[in-house]
Amino acid sequence: MKKFLAFSLILALSLTLLFAGTYKIGFFAPLTGWAAADGSSALHGAELAIQYINDSGGVNGNKLKLIYYDDAMNTAQAVSIAYKLVQQDHVLIAISGSYSSTTRAAAGIYQRLGVPMISAYAVHPQITKTGNLIFRVGTLATVEGRAGAYLAVKILGAKRIAVLTIDNDFGTSLTKGFIEEAKKLGAQIVYSTKYPLGETEFRTILNTLKQSKPDVIYATAYYAEAAHIVFQAKQLGIYVPIIGQEGYDSPKFIQLSEGGSSNDTLITTDLNRDSSKSIVQWFLKTYKEKYGIAADMVSASAFDAVQVAAAGLKSGTTPNKIREGILSIKSLKTSVTDIEHYTKSREVFRPITVQIVLAGKFHFFREITDPDVLNPER
Amino acid sequence: MEFWQNSINVLVLGSIYVLIAVGLSMIYGILRVLHIAHAGIYTLGAFLSLSIMEVTGNFWIALILSAIISGFLGALMYRYVYKFVLKEERIVPLIVSVGLFITMQDLYRIIYGPYKYPFSISIPIPYIRAGNFYISPLQMLILIITGIILIGLYFVLNKTRIGVGLKACANDSQMAAAVGVNTKLTIALAFFMGSALAAVAGTLVGVYDNSVYPTMGSTVSYKAFVVVVLGGFGSLKGSVIAGFLLAAAEVFLVAWKGFFLPRDAIGFLVMILFLIFLPNGLFGRKER
Amino acid sequence: MGYLMTLGIFASIYTILAISLNILTGYAGQVSLGHAALFGIGAYVSAALTVNLGFNYWTALPLSILITALVGALLGLPSLRVHSDFLVLVTIGINFVVVALFKYTPFFGGPYGLLGIPRPSLFGESMNTFEYFLYAVGWATFTILFVYWMSKKYIRVAFEAIKEDEEAAEAMTISVARFKIYAFTISAAFAGLAGNLWAHYMGVIFPGNFSFSKSIEIMTMIVLGGIGTIRGAVLGAVLLIFLPEYLRFVSDYRMLIYGLIIVFTMIFIPSGLLGDRSITWKWTRIFKKGDRVAKNNEN
Repeated sequence: MKKFLAFSLILALSLTLLFAGTYKIGFFAPLTGWAAADGSSALHGAELAIQYINDSGGVNGNKLKLIYYDDAMNTAQAVSIAYKLVQQDHVLIAISGSYSSTTRAAAGIYQRLGVPMISAYAVHPQITKTGNLIFRVGTLATVEGRAGAYLAVKILGAKRIAVLTIDNDFGTSLTKGFIEEAKKLGAQIVYSTKYPLGETEFRTILNTLKQSKPDVIYATAYYAEAAHIVFQAKQLGIYVPIIGQEGYDSPKFIQLSEGGSSNDTLITTDLNRDSSKSIVQWFLKTYKEKYGIAADMVSASAFDAVQVAAAGLKSGTTPNKIREGILSIKSLKTSVTDIEHYTKSREVFRPITVQIVLAGKFHFFREITDPDVLNPER
Repeated sequence: MEFWQNSINVLVLGSIYVLIAVGLSMIYGILRVLHIAHAGIYTLGAFLSLSIMEVTGNFWIALILSAIISGFLGALMYRYVYKFVLKEERIVPLIVSVGLFITMQDLYRIIYGPYKYPFSISIPIPYIRAGNFYISPLQMLILIITGIILIGLYFVLNKTRIGVGLKACANDSQMAAAVGVNTKLTIALAFFMGSALAAVAGTLVGVYDNSVYPTMGSTVSYKAFVVVVLGGFGSLKGSVIAGFLLAAAEVFLVAWKGFFLPRDAIGFLVMILFLIFLPNGLFGRKER
Repeated sequence: MGYLMTLGIFASIYTILAISLNILTGYAGQVSLGHAALFGIGAYVSAALTVNLGFNYWTALPLSILITALVGALLGLPSLRVHSDFLVLVTIGINFVVVALFKYTPFFGGPYGLLGIPRPSLFGESMNTFEYFLYAVGWATFTILFVYWMSKKYIRVAFEAIKEDEEAAEAMTISVARFKIYAFTISAAFAGLAGNLWAHYMGVIFPGNFSFSKSIEIMTMIVLGGIGTIRGAVLGAVLLIFLPEYLRFVSDYRMLIYGLIIVFTMIFIPSGLLGDRSITWKWTRIFKKGDRVAKNNEN
């Protein structure tokens, strides 16, 4: 009896492998530990995209299946997972819903094993330079920094700018792009300092910042730090515009910043909540219904990463076909600003939207389409 | 002006460090356990307050109830976990504590989800502002509660039988047992009070930062030790002074030089130099 | 296979780390919760030598071990003045400061980390995963044998004496200062080796790889396995590398169960799974002949 059961199990398994017609997509993100909030958002976004694609018929008639593991923000686990996904689960393509260090460490393995990988929102500039199979969906941080400078100088007319940099690759890359472009456009950087990730006490540096009398503050941050920055700045009587980036792009930013202090904050991001595109509205609505929490930039990026993967799978299942499929994307409709195309260094080219917080909600402010600012190859 | 504003920051940050550490100091004073899971209780306190406030709508009820529940859990932790490993090498309770902390943090994530919850309250304290100088209501709240707790603790430890028992146990628990102190009860009481104070600290920091989340204890897990050990073995007075000294070092170094290193590293750097010159902490006696 | 070999490589590296911490904490009684700093120094030195300065791997290997050992000796100096929990605190502090220095120093890549660290090459070709697995296991075996040999020497006696009672050791004409520095240096040298192996396998390193939580993890390995024993360090390292991977089937409850396993093991077997006084170790001894005699002598 036992033998028979085992036999039929094996038979069933091999049959599913032969006829099921599923495309397996691997996924890793920090689902436990200090980064679990972003990891979970990313996983939810990816799951939703799978549902969206499967409901509309899958890819070439094949259903997509997501196989995910928790990397606990540990590079060693991300590397083991890469082997597991490729050699045991036989995924066709992998998606990272994780931060830079784990993503970059794993990218090396995927490239070595010849499986394409897409980084959803990790910003490290070297990720896509790992090899010809590694793609990114999020906007390159230096590009986003440039867009911030364009916003500050060209649109808001700032002359004196203060810069706060979070001390990781995200902040460092953003600030690099920002300062270069702001100087080029003729503004002056009157104050610049860095601060540690996870900091909650900004009053000391804001006190010093205030003495430099800036007309705009460019503060690189994630939503938790950002909530403290905007609140404490107002406490200290600093009322100049604060420009943030996609790190702010979460309803949590507005929730956590006390007394409506998030109002008037401008951010450069991909997600336009006022967009009239049906896929954006479907995404925002279904996400909220399914997970009981509003979608953020991280979940939208993971959603798009799955869409890009699907676009690649449409042209074939071998690594090269997938790669060509992604590189030939033209105006892909996504949950954020449309991806116009991929550049030869496997970065996205897409417009950047500027959102403003008004009465506790993100709203559309401007769209930056200047190709010189947006070009990731520059 | 800048100096005075920064001084207020030192007072508030120092109060937070003291609040976090003072509970640990009681436990550490008696058992010499590197009780990392204290940070787990701290997080628990914040979550409990948040949940109770959602139900009752009253912050003070939430604060007190959460302190009492956390206190009991702390005492249970002693009774059902630490008691079995106290006779082992001192590193063993530490690892148990690490395991407990990992478990607790993940339990909160499973129950509450990984996200940060806002925790805002309105309190009837006016905003003090004079020119550029200000003290916000929440800062005032933290200063006041820290003051009340420190005075209360001073009274309990010096003027009551409980305090005498605690001190006796901290000095020499076998001796204390010999002269008729119920050591088991006293230690459980230390855990109860220490954990209740951790819950108060967690709640106040949650309110002050307007965020409560499962991993909010990870910084606390080592920061509290810096303060307790720096103060000298379980000396409450030492912990209080160490808390403010650490805050002063961090704030003024950052005001002077910016974040030339992350805040924690600055704090630790100061601490290492300090310990090389004063190897037994502020009010420390040499350990047996 | 790549999956298992990768885990095997990590287990080998952590075996070296656990044994090296065991020399310091298990033998010489100096509790360090900053061991990941030395691990990081080994990794960063080797990576900087090969990536930034163009050194060959086989030159970088001895240099990274040597430099880590020297830094270890230097970091051991506070232990001459600062004791017990104050020393624990100093080691934690060193961990934070070292990681912060990597993160804030552009030469070490700052927050971007160091990338493109080459795999060692053998006969002109860089090692594949299987060869690297054998290489790492080889070094782990060497470490085990070396420390086993060392534990039969006078130095082990001196370490134990310092652990038991420093003043008594001094009275027995054992130079406490000298042997403490020895313990820190030897321990650091092996941590440096582990760092080297880690960096050249991963190919990329980031400051966060060597944080305080790693130090705690290494300490958990030796205490869980049985502090003061080589076999315990090996078991602890292997167990804590494989456990999180084999707990993946419980998905969301993985870390919860991992934490509970640590707590319950320590409550029921407080001297560690293979510690000298643990029940589990005594069980394994039942099958050995003549053990009863040894046990009687012990008592």
